[in-house]
Amino acid sequence: MLLETHREAIETIVGRYASPRSAVLPLLYLAQDVYGHLSNAAIREVAGILALPETDVFEVVGFYTLFYSRPVGTWMLQVCDDVPCCYLGAEELITALKDSLQIKEEQTSADGMFTLQRVKCLAACDRAPVLQANLDYVYDVTPEKVEALLKDLRSRAADARRRGVSGRFAEDFAVTEQGAVELVARDAPYQSRQFEVQGPPPPPEPIPPPEVESGQDRAETRRASPL
Amino acid sequence: MGLSEYIIMRELNFPEINRFERYCQVGGWEAYRTAVKEQTPATIVQMVKEAGLRGRGGAGFPTGMKWGFLPKGVYPRYLLCNCDESEPGTFNNHQIIDRNPHQLIEGVALSAYAIECNTAYIYMRGEFAAAALTLEQAIDEAYRAGLLGKNILGTGYDLDIYVHRGAGAYICGEETALMESLEGKIGQPRLKPPFPAVAGLYGKPTIINNVETLANVPRIVEKGVAWYRSHGTEKSPGTKCFSLSGHVNRPGNYELPFGLPLRELIESPEYGGGMKGGRPVKIIIPGGASAPWLTAKHLDVPLDYEGVAAAGSMLGSGAVIVLNDTVKAPHVAYKMDEFFKHESCGKCTPCREGTHWLVKVLHRLAEEGHAEPDDIPTLHGIYRQMAGNCFCLLGESAVMPIKSALELFPEEFEAIIKASNERHQRNGAHAIPLRVS
Ligand SMILES: Cc1cc2nc3c(=O)[nH]c(=O)nc-3n(C[C@H](O)[C@H](O)[C@H](O)COP(=O)(O)O)c2cc1C
Ligand code: SF4
Ligand code: FES
Repeated sequence: MLLETHREAIETIVGRYASPRSAVLPLLYLAQDVYGHLSNAAIREVAGILALPETDVFEVVGFYTLFYSRPVGTWMLQVCDDVPCCYLGAEELITALKDSLQIKEEQTSADGMFTLQRVKCLAACDRAPVLQANLDYVYDVTPEKVEALLKDLRSRAADARRRGVSGRFAEDFAVTEQGAVELVARDAPYQSRQFEVQGPPPPPEPIPPPEVESGQDRAETRRASPL
Repeated sequence: MGLSEYIIMRELNFPEINRFERYCQVGGWEAYRTAVKEQTPATIVQMVKEAGLRGRGGAGFPTGMKWGFLPKGVYPRYLLCNCDESEPGTFNNHQIIDRNPHQLIEGVALSAYAIECNTAYIYMRGEFAAAALTLEQAIDEAYRAGLLGKNILGTGYDLDIYVHRGAGAYICGEETALMESLEGKIGQPRLKPPFPAVAGLYGKPTIINNVETLANVPRIVEKGVAWYRSHGTEKSPGTKCFSLSGHVNRPGNYELPFGLPLRELIESPEYGGGMKGGRPVKIIIPGGASAPWLTAKHLDVPLDYEGVAAAGSMLGSGAVIVLNDTVKAPHVAYKMDEFFKHESCGKCTPCREGTHWLVKVLHRLAEEGHAEPDDIPTLHGIYRQMAGNCFCLLGESAVMPIKSALELFPEEFEAIIKASNERHQRNGAHAIPLRVS
């Protein structure tokens, strides 16, 4: 039961709002990550925690597309097929994924590893074609890179299960020309091809050593973050 | 012509600006420290008013004026930062946060101080899970530095900033739907009035602003009104982060002063770098999916609120989608209206049913190439029943793609109908004459 396993996180979340009902989306994310998807029992449990009518919570789950009320694969693959992505290789990407996984949209591969979905604009149109795998962004996924991507994701299945499908510890990745999947380093300036540096960049000034509690260790902060 | 100084993408070339210490090294958080210690909230509001800052979320509404609508003496008040960013073609909020989360947080904190509120929420679309973590981490840093929390810098001012993730619904970008969603309900818009400034989140006075809008505030407060107004035009001061996408060589976000011609954004080697493969421009959508389309003959339109409006479209979110001659107008209208159908919240009939039927007809016509002789009057009929009758702007926006396509490229619809008709004829069906209304 969530209240037993995650009481502290739940209390922190509920404490942020003037009305406990506001915590329904964060708690549904939590339940979804713990149980893999939102079963009827999980939805009722969230309603119980917040003392809400069950139908209200069912309605919320039905309204928002990132809640899954049926079992989904270890990796939820959500490919943007909106304008402009659909004219920049998204359809070819979806075809390549379907061929490789032998599934159609909204289906889960036989090994339970991948569920494929078409989604609308992911706000990364400059790096088309783009998809999210458990809300990790993967940029620049041309069809040739699909095999390498799927292989990488398969090898990180344990990671996916630990992190859940709701993007609790999501990060940004890009597929390189060679097909390697690489973390987009954000400790360096955002790796973009669009922000042209005008003139040589100023030499980086020495950074004072981070204080112990200054939270520079991204992984540590992430673990500390309740959601 | 690049900007000599960036406002939204402040210190563009400064490495690791996403880290607290680095941001502080270039004067970050100074405006807020000074404001909280030495300036009254009303001074900040006045500065934002005089700077002429306009909301970047779509409508271009003057931010200072919006803040002025708050009823006097009613507390608590809330500040909401709108980071739902789901309009096709729009991706600057995403990058502003990835690159420099502290600037946004400082902007939120300054604005919260200006409107005298103690709780601010940053509502992010659910898909921005990684960006939400980036922001949370930066917020933690600000708390540790004593810039957020209780009794900030010993002044007695309290402020909490929370990140709240939505869960996949474009409509939650609409300000009242966002409040519904934040209250834990489904994201359906509320009737206005009352406007959020009077009765918003939890029925309290609420100000809601876009990420890019709030990211402007630290620089305005730090450098002053005259400096800010030296960028852009008289009516649209400052700069705008344009999200350029589609068939251009260098898609991406470009921060430009308002008023530059569209052509420069698309063709300049510093920005768009011209069309891919040198193909001609066919359709330009200058303000996200909700904006009426422009074509190659509009390349000299200046990119500011007034200029784009004079050309019959709108600057909206500043998302410029450029498509070349390989796309078919009916298909673009189909894809765009599919987006609106997908995102319609279902509250009102003209939008829920209208988008459904538009997509049904357009799918058959543009995807399958199977057209009925009176498809054109049918499509005109559907969007005319929607226009002016929808509860919120989402439904009204869904009219734009199909209306633009029919107005600008009627011959493409006629050609599909003609070809379909000829196929019928060959197969022995009756030839039905083409009707164009
Ligand atoms: C359907 C719809 C979606 C919207 N989506 C967004 C959005 O994602 N981000 C945003 O800032 N504003 C969005 N808006 C505009 C907001 O309602 C609101 O006007 C804006 O956040 C105000 O901020 P500003 O004054 O800083 O522009 C949307 C409006 C509508 C009708
Ligand atoms: S216009 Fe569409 S999105 Fe807006 S209230 Fe009506 S159904 Fe909902
Ligand atoms: S259209 Fe695909 S990310 Fe925007």
